[in-house]
Amino acid sequence: MSKLALDINNLEASVGTIEILKGVNLEVPFGEVHALMGPNGSGKSTLCHVLTGRSDYTVAGEALIDGESLLDKAVDVRSRMGLMQAFQYPVEVPGVGLAVFMRESGEERGWTADEIEARIMEAGDQYDMDRFLERSVNNDLSGGEKKRSEVFQMAVLNPKVAVLDEIDSGLDIDAVREVAEGIERMRGPEVGVLMITHYSRILRYVTPDRIHVMMDGRIVESGGPELSARLEDEGYEGIRERLGIEAPAEGKAEKRPSDFFTETPFDV
Amino acid sequence: MRPLDLTTVERAAETAPSWLADLRQNGFEYFEKLSMPTGAEEEWRYVDLDFELTDFGIPDVAGVPLSGDSVLSALTDYAGIARLIDGFVVDLFCDVPGVTLLNAAGQAADDSLLEQSLGLMISPNLDIFAAAHQAFATDGLLLHVDRGVAVDRPIIIDMQVTQADTISFPHLSVVLDTNAEASVVVVMRSQNGQRNVVVPHLELSVGDGARLNLVTSQHWGDTTTAVTHQKMVLGRDSTGRLGEVGLGAKLGRLDLNVDLIGNGSSSELVGLYFGDDRQVFDYRVVINHHGKNTRSDVFLKGAVEDEAESVFSGLLKIWPDATRTSTFETNRNLVLSDGAKAHSVPNLEILCDDVVCGHGSTVGPLEEEHMYYLMSRGLSRERAQRVLIRGFFDEMIQRLPVSGLEEPVRDAVSAKFVTAQAEGRV
Repeated sequence: MSKLALDINNLEASVGTIEILKGVNLEVPFGEVHALMGPNGSGKSTLCHVLTGRSDYTVAGEALIDGESLLDKAVDVRSRMGLMQAFQYPVEVPGVGLAVFMRESGEERGWTADEIEARIMEAGDQYDMDRFLERSVNNDLSGGEKKRSEVFQMAVLNPKVAVLDEIDSGLDIDAVREVAEGIERMRGPEVGVLMITHYSRILRYVTPDRIHVMMDGRIVESGGPELSARLEDEGYEGIRERLGIEAPAEGKAEKRPSDFFTETPFDV
Repeated sequence: MRPLDLTTVERAAETAPSWLADLRQNGFEYFEKLSMPTGAEEEWRYVDLDFELTDFGIPDVAGVPLSGDSVLSALTDYAGIARLIDGFVVDLFCDVPGVTLLNAAGQAADDSLLEQSLGLMISPNLDIFAAAHQAFATDGLLLHVDRGVAVDRPIIIDMQVTQADTISFPHLSVVLDTNAEASVVVVMRSQNGQRNVVVPHLELSVGDGARLNLVTSQHWGDTTTAVTHQKMVLGRDSTGRLGEVGLGAKLGRLDLNVDLIGNGSSSELVGLYFGDDRQVFDYRVVINHHGKNTRSDVFLKGAVEDEAESVFSGLLKIWPDATRTSTFETNRNLVLSDGAKAHSVPNLEILCDDVVCGHGSTVGPLEEEHMYYLMSRGLSRERAQRVLIRGFFDEMIQRLPVSGLEEPVRDAVSAKFVTAQAEGRV
């Protein structure tokens, strides 16, 4: 086993002519939980999807999972290598039961039927998902339940690298705490966790080993858990000024409708 | 075999009661007037009828019954069964008091129950197939459930075509008297490779307060052309729930007409179809709301692969007095190969205020977002496709109005896709 669960070197990604990731370097060792923070549009979600393997991007650079090269693999192969993303907006899959979904995934991994059932049972208990097992994946679930389902799936599939994209967005405070507890429970010597968030609320309940700040497609600052307090003081604008990073040319005036849901002004 | 001509009608009249002879004579008059539909007619534009009905002959007797069937063998607990082979009723069994199974060619041909129920709902001027059916049907099966009788297990109708170069006219009339309840499964089948035509008629009369659940499972052979007319008439506060499973036929056409006559009546149609090779499924659904406070729901899902083609044309018609009607139709289609086509035409015609209506239809490939999500959990592309196809149809399978068919239908649907996948056709 490599020391690093996830090792990203000079990763670039673009859509058409628009560069989104401009050379990302990031290391998440096994046993650690890292937080990746940054303002809207800084490239956090793109990083998640580039790692997972969404086909929309032109990609250059390198990403390794436990020392194995990732970017040349298909989406499903990456998952079986040990990468798993909890999605910001998990899609509803009508007609496909959650337990069936996990069984199919387990079968593809060559697990025995008994092993799969045991994992589903245990994780179902742990994340209180029993009543959702026979229901269609994510169908008619609340925002919090969807996120809980994502974390449940991680517990079943046991990835080496868990990437959680905006796992706290759209959740009320109780749901945030619940999801945070799930992440803490996940922490262990055989997994590296990268959680993406754009505000520090969830960091009250999860203590990351490292915090990274992303802006304009690069990691601009990394530090220990104390960086969170500093972020709260300075804000992203403050960091931008301190590090002398120019505001992106297109400016920040243009907001998407979804930003009004993900940005909570009362949150610090 | 007998030809489709006047001598056949006249010969049949010699032994038939006068009401039946009159019916046939009437059908024959339309048969002579009408011609084979062409693609120029909107109703038939997707269907290529490359034959004349007179190219085929009517069987003289029922052929050798086909061997076992997966849907039938799943239904072990039934209240009654009738076998209709090549248009002839050959077996009748039902021992539930208050339930009558009768056939027109049987000894009870002059029974007034038959006279009141057979051949009255589907008009012979609908098309040449309907006219031919009325003129040449060799037999007719009646399932009658007495007032207030509830049959707790399904009644099975095994409809078979066994002879090449034939045209046959299986006929089923279901009559539920006031407050009666029954479930019926009609299995339609024939062998692959035998060219033939079959024109089934299903007449369903649901009395006041009665409840009918009926599933038709079409898995005709790959060279059978099946043109089915089905009509359901609903009395006051009655419920008719229909399920349709379309898996096999060269051409499988269903012309389904539901009349919600009684106030407070409701109907539901849940259906799935899956076409491969060069199959054509052509569904023509018309729901007429006549009574007040009536409800209907149509929900069909289909998939096509290879060069198969499907058509869903659904008309919800709300007549002037049908106030407080609620009606919905949904049609979802998966197109799994470049050469396959699905047409979806939902329509509403509203001649009355104070109604709630809705319709929706989709045609397209499997959603990439779904594929991405499933694959991100480690499912290979092929497995993700299979899981999504099963899920797509499962929603319909679970809603079929008669239980017990889930496994064989699920397996049959799965097998179609898995085979195509293994052969690299999708």
